[in-house]
Amino acid sequence: MLKPLADQDWNFTTAAHLLNRAGFGGTPAEIQKLADLGREAAVASLLDFEKIPDPTTNPDWAQPNPEEVKKYREAIRNGTPEEKKLAQREEQQLFQRRMVELRGWWLKRMTTGPRPLQEKLVLFWHGHFATSIEKVKNPYFMWRQNELFRRLATGNWTQLLTEAGKDPAMLLWLDQAQSKKDHPNENFAREVMELFALGEGHYTEKDISEAARALTGWSLEPAEQKFIFRPRIHDVGSKTLLGRTGDFNGDDVIQIIVAQPQAAKFITAKLWNYFAGQVPGPELNDALAEYFRANGNNFKPLLRIIFNSAEFYAPSVVRNQVKSPVQWLVGSVRMLECELPPVIVSWGMLKQLGQDLFAPPNVKGWDGGVTWITTNTLLTRYNDAQSLVEGSLPALNASDFAKKAGGGGGGKAMKVLKRMKMGGVPLDKILSTEQRADKRSILAALEVRLFQGSLNTEQEQTLREFLDNKTKLTDADILTTIRLMMSTPEYQVT
Amino acid sequence: MKNEITLQTRREFLRRTVLGSSLAWTVPAFLANTFSALDSAAADSATQIVTGKDSTILVVLQMAGGNDGINTVVPYANDFYHKARPTIGLSSEKVLKLNGEVGLHGAMKGFKELYDGGQLSVIQGVGYPNPNRSHFRSTEIWQTASDSQRVEKYGWVGRYFDSACGGADPTVGVTIGSQLPQAFFAAKPKGIVFNNPQNYRFMANGQATEDSYKKLNDQEMMADNVGENSGGSIGMLPAGMPMTGGKAVDFISRTAMDAQHSSDEVRAIAAKVENQAVYPASQLANGLKLVAKLIGGGLPTRIYYVSQGGYDTHTNQLGSQQRLLGDLSESVKAFTDDMKAQGNMGRVLVMTFSEFGRRVAEMRTAAPITARPHRCSSSATKSKLVCSANIRVSRPPICSKAM
Repeated sequence: MLKPLADQDWNFTTAAHLLNRAGFGGTPAEIQKLADLGREAAVASLLDFEKIPDPTTNPDWAQPNPEEVKKYREAIRNGTPEEKKLAQREEQQLFQRRMVELRGWWLKRMTTGPRPLQEKLVLFWHGHFATSIEKVKNPYFMWRQNELFRRLATGNWTQLLTEAGKDPAMLLWLDQAQSKKDHPNENFAREVMELFALGEGHYTEKDISEAARALTGWSLEPAEQKFIFRPRIHDVGSKTLLGRTGDFNGDDVIQIIVAQPQAAKFITAKLWNYFAGQVPGPELNDALAEYFRANGNNFKPLLRIIFNSAEFYAPSVVRNQVKSPVQWLVGSVRMLECELPPVIVSWGMLKQLGQDLFAPPNVKGWDGGVTWITTNTLLTRYNDAQSLVEGSLPALNASDFAKKAGGGGGGKAMKVLKRMKMGGVPLDKILSTEQRADKRSILAALEVRLFQGSLNTEQEQTLREFLDNKTKLTDADILTTIRLMMSTPEYQVT
Repeated sequence: MKNEITLQTRREFLRRTVLGSSLAWTVPAFLANTFSALDSAAADSATQIVTGKDSTILVVLQMAGGNDGINTVVPYANDFYHKARPTIGLSSEKVLKLNGEVGLHGAMKGFKELYDGGQLSVIQGVGYPNPNRSHFRSTEIWQTASDSQRVEKYGWVGRYFDSACGGADPTVGVTIGSQLPQAFFAAKPKGIVFNNPQNYRFMANGQATEDSYKKLNDQEMMADNVGENSGGSIGMLPAGMPMTGGKAVDFISRTAMDAQHSSDEVRAIAAKVENQAVYPASQLANGLKLVAKLIGGGLPTRIYYVSQGGYDTHTNQLGSQQRLLGDLSESVKAFTDDMKAQGNMGRVLVMTFSEFGRRVAEMRTAAPITARPHRCSSSATKSKLVCSANIRVSRPPICSKAM
């Protein structure tokens, strides 16, 4: 188990698989670079991302702002009904604009940032802790949580779980901030065991109520916008949790949970699933869990052994993962070297495809895998491919986005959208003069770029016929060919 | 139903797609009969009725997010209720009384009208023993109709498709929305999903592009190779986990074929059929309007699935629930009017449900299960209140085989 992939198996195909999964894919040149590095160095180049400078700056509102909090709170609390309404609306619009900016900020990091694996992990943790703006209602808190995931992306499990639990977004999302000695709220206590760390069947209802008691006192200081421990609402006294008894507090709860052998199995299986695209068998899961525990429950060594392992490059794993909408969009942009559409459009696409960043459907996050694909989302992917490739406007519900963006009506939004520069695929960049000389070499080059391999012979035949029927090959025809390649079942997997 | 057409496999359906898919709503009966006679294999196999023209239709309406059932069908005469809910409890003058014990939330005038007209049943106290307090597990239990001790791989609608709809038509189940509900998960997944018929198509910049798209996505070989154990089925996955084996691309190929073949049909019907009732302006109403059109247009669908989101609000529950239940009631009322005008009322049953309820007492946490009134509405349903031990809906939410 977990033996390294043999050196002779390290080549363009395996390097492409690494970049597809440990990142969002890339250009043939980027893949070739990884192939030339050798396996271990290639993995390190993605995983040891701290060494790569990241010049991204934070949104200017990404910091606590007690003044602003106070301003709206007072207007809403003490104002006349009109003032109250006005303040509420103003705050709502401000927050909506910030959420749009935040989505764009993150998507940009994913598409052009220098640390794709870090962002891929942030996306994993976002899906894992599945916190939504719909309830948290505060863009700064959503940014803060996102940044926490980034900081601890390859860190220690106990630390990540503790910090995520104490972070304002989570305190609000699972109502921990309101949990008091007299009325302990069980939501966080339940989900930390069921969804975050152990999985169903590995704790009892009693464990939940005892953990909830121990967690009381974890609260939010609303003016300062940060975690605070409030001893007065903390339930002091003996608790029995997962077979251990003592006067536990919230930190103890997390430590006791992470110390369960099941905890290592649970999180390693989920990570394997995220990167390899399938649930590990029991033997593999045991090996992953054992390695994780032996390495102090730290994610970095675990990820290193995963990305170097022969199992990760097994034929049943390669090109057998359904791309999530984010993988689809970000991957397409990276592979085709085109620009990410304006955030309002990118966000709209992701939402229609079922992955609204910062707004997962529920605490369980996105189900993922083949559940991304329905007749509707599949046709939408095919149609969005056209927008991406041609740089045209997709069929979005404009008024919906205008509303979310804090702008006017649908007509106005449509006008704004129409003025936006959408980019489109720069053919000069992705096809060399030699490649463009001949229809066959065009197809071959595009197949390598989009599939890092080839389509089946019937599909190749179909595309050849499409091009052969054009008397004079135009850029538009090549763009349509790219769109057609993206409008296949094969393009939806990676 | 003797003369209804049956088809045996998905492949057969797709082979005959030109005839098969148009059959459902345009072909005269004599031609349909001929078609049926030609299809000898269909005569003796467990098959699906291809046309839904005269068959019963179930519309499942999910009140997503966990509706507070006790404040929907309100035990207004019960002291315990008022004691447990001193602030959010609804007093007797705020409810639309069904009898001396219970009444509907005041916002549900449309439902009250249906009830008075003998077209609405309320099934109270529907639940399962040892309720699981996880929202997700509870949702899963409702979607798969399992008991709380057992994890069922497939959804309750999906199991119906597997056992009774061996036929080939992907439009046997239609979900209005963007995600397939877990209830539709099946060994052989069926059913299509869309929200806007206008966008439910491949947008091509020319006939050559369109033709190429069709060829690239019509991989009969693939469809043939997908067997029971290929893993090409979402139903085989433990909830929330991607596949453990098999090829993801096979599953997508099947979906691609379903999309291709259902797109033309759905758009034609949506463009042709007019709604014959006035609906409120809401997402739910839009969904039901579409369902009404598809029923009117004769899409061979037996089960429609629509949902109304928003029931998961905790703060300001009274206002939100008022709005949501009002929308529900008005939308369903309009839908039943539409069905009546179409002459389809007798064969359509709407069933509402919510995946979990709330504790009786207010100001508590966790949102687990108490009463979870399911509501059924159909002309064939005699209005009544039914207790859980004795659930009877005159037209059960099960569709029959060809008889």
